[in-house]
Amino acid sequence: MPDFHPDLLKSMSAQDADAVLALGRPLTLSSGAVLFQLGADADHLYVIDRGRVNLTLPMQVFGREEDILVEERVAGQTLGWSALIPPHRFTLKATAQIDTELLAFRRAALLDHFTAHPRVGYAIVGNVAATVGQRLQVFQAMWLREMKRVLELSRGTGSAV
Amino acid sequence: MIMFLMALSLGMFGLAVTTMAFGAATRNERKPVAPLQPRLDLAPERFFAEGHPSFHRQPNVPLEVLLLQIERHVRLEQAAAESFISLPSPEVLNCRTQSPLIH
Repeated sequence: MPDFHPDLLKSMSAQDADAVLALGRPLTLSSGAVLFQLGADADHLYVIDRGRVNLTLPMQVFGREEDILVEERVAGQTLGWSALIPPHRFTLKATAQIDTELLAFRRAALLDHFTAHPRVGYAIVGNVAATVGQRLQVFQAMWLREMKRVLELSRGTGSAV
Repeated sequence: MIMFLMALSLGMFGLAVTTMAFGAATRNERKPVAPLQPRLDLAPERFFAEGHPSFHRQPNVPLEVLLLQIERHVRLEQAAAESFISLPSPEVLNCRTQSPLIH
């Protein structure tokens, strides 16, 4: 994968990046296939090589439980960071939106590699933290926007969501 | 004669006292007037925003269409939030989207 620069491997030398990529196992999902379920044990970290994955949460919509889109992940992006962060349980459900190819990294293999190469571990954990932090910031902003609408609704001045 | 007048006076006095006592006992009691309660103009109940027209499912909108609208709303809101993170300002944070669930 000469042109593959996933966000997980940012700020790493090509040699270190190749060594990490070598730990990954290719995985192909057809459209609609579930990669992981909400609450499942998170023992793999994933990087999308091609395709798109929907991250969803269940929500009751008019009496039916539906998977509601929370976030989309596309080629080059990381998902399943719960594999590196306790308590190692997925907090979303991941489903391939289209035919998708990924690299799956087993947590134990990654941690062994980090132990042998702490500099690589430091870089990867920093990149994962950036992904987590970005999601936190996005959801802070989304939450604030929804709060504003709730306030508008309570005063009867706003439009509903 | 004096004794007769004295007895008559005492009798009249006793009759007057008895009449007053009887009148006081049989007089209708005036009920105390209750203090006026302030009138509370309660707003119509909107528990969990029930009753707001936008929260009711339109009868001719299928669930699948609604789910697509929710999905579009999430995408637009996420894009708005990401814009705010790229360029933080109150205007960007509060900008409106074209979400079908808002309008």
